[in-house]
Amino acid sequence: MKFWMQRVAMAILLLLSVSALTFGAMNVLGDPLFNILGPLAGDVNNPKSAALIEEVKAKYDLDKPLPVRYVKWLGDFATGDMGVQFSTDGQPPVSGLIKERIPRTITLLIMAQLLAVMISIPWAAITAARAGKRSDKISTMNSFFLLAMPNFALAILLKYIFSLKLGWFPLTYKAIDPYFERLRQIFLAAVTIALPAAAVYQRLLRTDLITTLQQDFILMARAKGLSRSRVIFRHAIRPSMFSFITVVGLNTGGLIGGSIVVETVFRIPGIGSSLVESVLREDFPVVLAIVILIALAFVIINVLVDILYSIIDPRVRR
Amino acid sequence: MNDSDPRTTTPLLEVSDLKTYFRTERGTVKAVDGVSFSLQRGQSLGIVGESGSGKTVLSRSIMGLLGRTNLIREGSIKFNGQELMGLSVKEMRSIWGQEMSMIFQDPMTSLNPVMKIGRQIAEPLMLHLGMNKSEARLTAEKLLTDVRIPEPQRRLNQYPHELSGGMRQRVMIAIALACGPTLLFADEPTTALDVTVQAEILHLINEQRVDRNMSLILVTHNIGVVAGNTDVIAVMYGGKIVEKAPTKTLFSSYKMPYTEALMRSIPKLRQASHTRLATIPGRPPDMVNPPLGCNFAPRCAYARPKCLVEEPGLTVTENPEHVYACFYPVGSPEYHERKLELSQRSDLLSTGGQN
Repeated sequence: MKFWMQRVAMAILLLLSVSALTFGAMNVLGDPLFNILGPLAGDVNNPKSAALIEEVKAKYDLDKPLPVRYVKWLGDFATGDMGVQFSTDGQPPVSGLIKERIPRTITLLIMAQLLAVMISIPWAAITAARAGKRSDKISTMNSFFLLAMPNFALAILLKYIFSLKLGWFPLTYKAIDPYFERLRQIFLAAVTIALPAAAVYQRLLRTDLITTLQQDFILMARAKGLSRSRVIFRHAIRPSMFSFITVVGLNTGGLIGGSIVVETVFRIPGIGSSLVESVLREDFPVVLAIVILIALAFVIINVLVDILYSIIDPRVRR
Repeated sequence: MNDSDPRTTTPLLEVSDLKTYFRTERGTVKAVDGVSFSLQRGQSLGIVGESGSGKTVLSRSIMGLLGRTNLIREGSIKFNGQELMGLSVKEMRSIWGQEMSMIFQDPMTSLNPVMKIGRQIAEPLMLHLGMNKSEARLTAEKLLTDVRIPEPQRRLNQYPHELSGGMRQRVMIAIALACGPTLLFADEPTTALDVTVQAEILHLINEQRVDRNMSLILVTHNIGVVAGNTDVIAVMYGGKIVEKAPTKTLFSSYKMPYTEALMRSIPKLRQASHTRLATIPGRPPDMVNPPLGCNFAPRCAYARPKCLVEEPGLTVTENPEHVYACFYPVGSPEYHERKLELSQRSDLLSTGGQN
């Protein structure tokens, strides 16, 4: 219980500091007034624009000191109000934009992670059982190929083969299509994210599996007369999952980064593509909201990883 | 324990000229180099030797548990009349756990840390005897009672880390016994345990052997461990059996100077405290390039020029069960001559009046 209290406290602290840093950086390094009004923001001598500046300052609370604005933003954010978009005159509000786009990115990432895990576990099991043999060496070359390939190149390659040539998957994403049709539309994007991730997971799990397979209890399991696949899947996989799970968890952040490119190539209007747009437009309420959500996702995933640890290894349970 | 009665029936296990070599970068390691013995049903054999003598490889080679890459395995292993040499891993699997099983050295690492004890015992039962889950569970509980684990029902749901070392070794014994094997290997079963627990575990293994009419191969570096627990003892050195005799005979009239050295390395209660432990000088031979003659000659106080160039074969004593590989065995005139020389030399060297 104490452990979970600590976890929650740490998570809150983390989110506060991430938001404070981002909020501060965006306000100090950028000029919100300029972002909203454009060149007019510098035209203080013109009474017409001076009046506009005052109006905007009052509307967006820019006349108040930074800490006050941060606290106000924080209070709003906690109640679900993420502020207004600078770039679109405030409509739709940031929360509306996020609400519309986030399910797409979450679906994409979950699909990608599931694919990566489903590919990497059997892949690692097979290569670990044949470590050092020809099939293992070929697999190593393949995984390095996947790791070295930039994901926009992989995206274009997959799109070319499976959408254009074979026509198995649609070329574009349509938000109005039914749910399952949209799943099919984002499948290739998920594969693009999943393949390099699976290669990383496979390398890691393979190494840990090889180490586990040297353990005494594996010899003991063999001496019971269990088949090779039973020895691997019943006895070796679970104790080998620690770094695998840790990296799957940590990598989620990396996948969000990867989704920016992939969402752009596959024209999926998700969080990744709106992050790119909002950074380019210096639309900082949007950037801020997305950064906080990514941090929140990190916290949640790491809690899940901790729970998984204790499921996998009874010795971790407290 | 009861002495073996030399039966005329076919032995349960008959190993002849078993060789087990490993190809390494340094050359071929001759871990087991021509070992022969046979074992009757219900009989127990102790294999004694220093670390590196090849005793663990011997037991794993007989069972067929060694990895197959870079392995050279020759000779013949007849088990229940069936030749095991040349059987595939798949064919061996029906023997492993069912006909032959093994208790490993370290109970701390030989049980799966993330699997409940009950499941680990039930596994071979379901695999070999086709039991369903609840039958296997009941049998597992009974096995835990057999190996005298208190509260067996509760233990089934525990993980290995919740048990002490001695308890874990009992669980390993329960797993090994689960399907009623006819041949049990125990590879240093007590080395990792407290001295107080060692005797209990040995007693338990032996008791189960008698109850179930199993044969036992007990591998150990500690000649004291096999003393009361085996019918026959084979002493291994450098991948070969250098002396083999019924336990009583070996202790009363060992022939091989190496056996003598092993016997002397057991500390004795009647010795004064702080008496220097008797050790065997030197190290076991390099099994990539074993010595030309007797493997033990370079470390042997009684070795003569012949020992360094010619390899002694196994000689049978007046007791046909007792064989040894030595040109100048304990009790021979050359042995006594050298012993006299040695004691005179040590008298010269010792300054005090101790003897």
